[in-house]
Amino acid sequence: MSERITPAMVTSATLNDLSSSLASLQRTTDELSSGRTILEPSDNPFGASRVIDLQSQLDGLSSYESNAQDGISWENAASSAMSNINEVTQRVRELVVQSANGTNNQSDLSTIATEVEQLTESVKQDANTQYAGQYVFSGTATTTAPYEQGAGDEYKGNAEAVARSVGPGASVTVSTNISTLLGNGEAAKDGKLLDTLRTIVAHLRGGTAEDREALGTTDLKALDGNLETLSQLQAVAGSANDQLKAALTRNEGLQTSITESLAGVEDTNVAATSIAYANEQAAYSAALRAGATIVQESLLNFLQ
Amino acid sequence: MSIPTLQGLQTALSGLIAEQTALDTTGNNIANANTEGYSRETALLEPNPPLPIPSISAQTGRGAQLGAGVTVATITRIRNIYLDAQYRAQNSAVGAANTQAETLQLAQTAFNEPSTEGIASQLSAFWSAWSSLADSPTNEAAKEGVVAAGEQLVSAFNQLSAQLSTISTQAGEQYNSLTGPSGEVEDFANQIAQLNGQIKLAEEAGQQPNSMLDRRDLLLDKLSALANVTITEQPDHTDTVSFGDAAKPLVEGTTVNWPQALTEAAGGQLGALLNLTGPKGALTALRTNLDEVASTLATTVNQHLEKQFFSGETAATLTVMVEASEVQASGSKAVGGNEVALEIAALRGGEAEQGYATLVEKLGSDVRSAKDDQTTLQGTLTAINDQRQGVSGVSLDEEMTNLIAFQRGYQASARTLTAMDSMLETLIEHTGVVGL
Repeated sequence: MSERITPAMVTSATLNDLSSSLASLQRTTDELSSGRTILEPSDNPFGASRVIDLQSQLDGLSSYESNAQDGISWENAASSAMSNINEVTQRVRELVVQSANGTNNQSDLSTIATEVEQLTESVKQDANTQYAGQYVFSGTATTTAPYEQGAGDEYKGNAEAVARSVGPGASVTVSTNISTLLGNGEAAKDGKLLDTLRTIVAHLRGGTAEDREALGTTDLKALDGNLETLSQLQAVAGSANDQLKAALTRNEGLQTSITESLAGVEDTNVAATSIAYANEQAAYSAALRAGATIVQESLLNFLQ
Repeated sequence: MSIPTLQGLQTALSGLIAEQTALDTTGNNIANANTEGYSRETALLEPNPPLPIPSISAQTGRGAQLGAGVTVATITRIRNIYLDAQYRAQNSAVGAANTQAETLQLAQTAFNEPSTEGIASQLSAFWSAWSSLADSPTNEAAKEGVVAAGEQLVSAFNQLSAQLSTISTQAGEQYNSLTGPSGEVEDFANQIAQLNGQIKLAEEAGQQPNSMLDRRDLLLDKLSALANVTITEQPDHTDTVSFGDAAKPLVEGTTVNWPQALTEAAGGQLGALLNLTGPKGALTALRTNLDEVASTLATTVNQHLEKQFFSGETAATLTVMVEASEVQASGSKAVGGNEVALEIAALRGGEAEQGYATLVEKLGSDVRSAKDDQTTLQGTLTAINDQRQGVSGVSLDEEMTNLIAFQRGYQASARTLTAMDSMLETLIEHTGVVGL
């Protein structure tokens, strides 16, 4: 005997087919409307863990990006302060050269001394530059001004470095230890810029032949030495700035490639899914039509 | 030798009765076409014992046997008990797979991954907060940001742990309500025991109790979704039912042995519930792994800090221990140092995150394989059920055809009766008048 088919079997098979057709249609609709192929980990377990990993990497990159941006702003503040110090120091050097040529009387020298004193204050002011509420030249003591205005020339910051993390395992030191340039003033006799400036003022006011002699020899030499140190610091800061910018560029490239990987794992292929959607819709309508026709028919329709 | 005069009437009558019984049986099949658990029935017809005629031929003196009509031997249900056994074994497997898939799906929904609210995102936001703090270590808002991100992360862990614990508790409650007093197991067992008694009585009286047999088979089908069942039919037509890995049979004659202890090996829905919440179950493993991630997070973060940021060894007990003012960006260095913040920000992609990603991947594969099992097993069950339906199901086309056949048979028997009647009329009314 051939297999018996009962209407109940046809009905349940039709219902099964319809619901599985509708389920895949629903799934495709979800993928299209959310734009994602992984709606739950079970859709693609390995993909889901990749998404978590890549998303975190992407968040990490955007952290590194803002770290680097912040470092660049810090460096910009420091660099412009150091340029100012450079200009001021050049001005002092001109004044010293002018004072050393012997054509000035003491009153002229006193006037020059006053100007050098003002310029010294301006150097300290530049050294107290802040970025986002932090003193950029105080090492890690960012809430303490490195120099007090006025007579005291002692460095109040520390020698510790401040770094910005710009990539996994890559950090750039953004702080400049300004005390290697400015020193602790006359009292320390360290030959650094503040000591030099204070000595120059003393020599300008001194009035003796030795003082005048010193202006043109030791002072000028010390000043040139200080300028040398300054340009070294500027070079270091400039190279840190370059590193930060290079890190930013590298970061951008990585962000693009990780975003692409993420899209590859997670995003719906709209073209392919739309075609699948059209196919499934056609299959569903066909199943509906066939079901409606078969289920209605029976011998009863033809018996008198 | 002659044939009794009224024999033809008897034969026609037996035909009428048989065709009517067959028609009634067909009617009953049509009425029950959509009744759950109904097996189609058929009236088994047998010829009556023939009438011996010793010497029908005057010439040879040979005898013959004259057919004496038809009788209904029994009304039997059409059913294949081997398919029933297959169906029930498969049904237990489907019951287990459904429970497994539904419960794990609940857990998967609780994880809410991948999304912007899940633990993975919160974890990532936590590292970003430390990274921001590294940019401005003295900034109060940045410290607040770290604590806020930490608290959101902790609450995501706490909530997920609570949800998983609820799912586990509900699985336990479901088991208790199915196996408890007046739960489904006891209810089915009582009905089966009662039917056993009634079936035994009917069989003793020589009747085949088709509808009771159908009802008992339907109950056994339903019982098989809860755990593995093995049916042994006894000589007195009662069924002895072994249930899961219970020590004694659940039903023996009219006796019910319940409650009894079951283990994961019971199979079916109950076995799956015990497995999920048991020490080696998927749900337990999920909770353990989540606790491990929470504990790893706490340890890896705390080891960089003097004042502990997190406390708690499990996902449920994880808490943030510090206030914004106590957040350390630096260890021994001055206020503007940021090396600690940088160390903690560098934990991104580390052990805790990898542990969590592995957990999500494991859960995803578990759910996926549970759903695949479900689909495959359900497909086989449908195929077996189709085979069973092919044997026992009512086909309306077939019943309609039978209806016509039996109706025609009834008409023909009635016509035979008429013919016999008119034959006798000829004999009685029209044969010549004697003795007048």
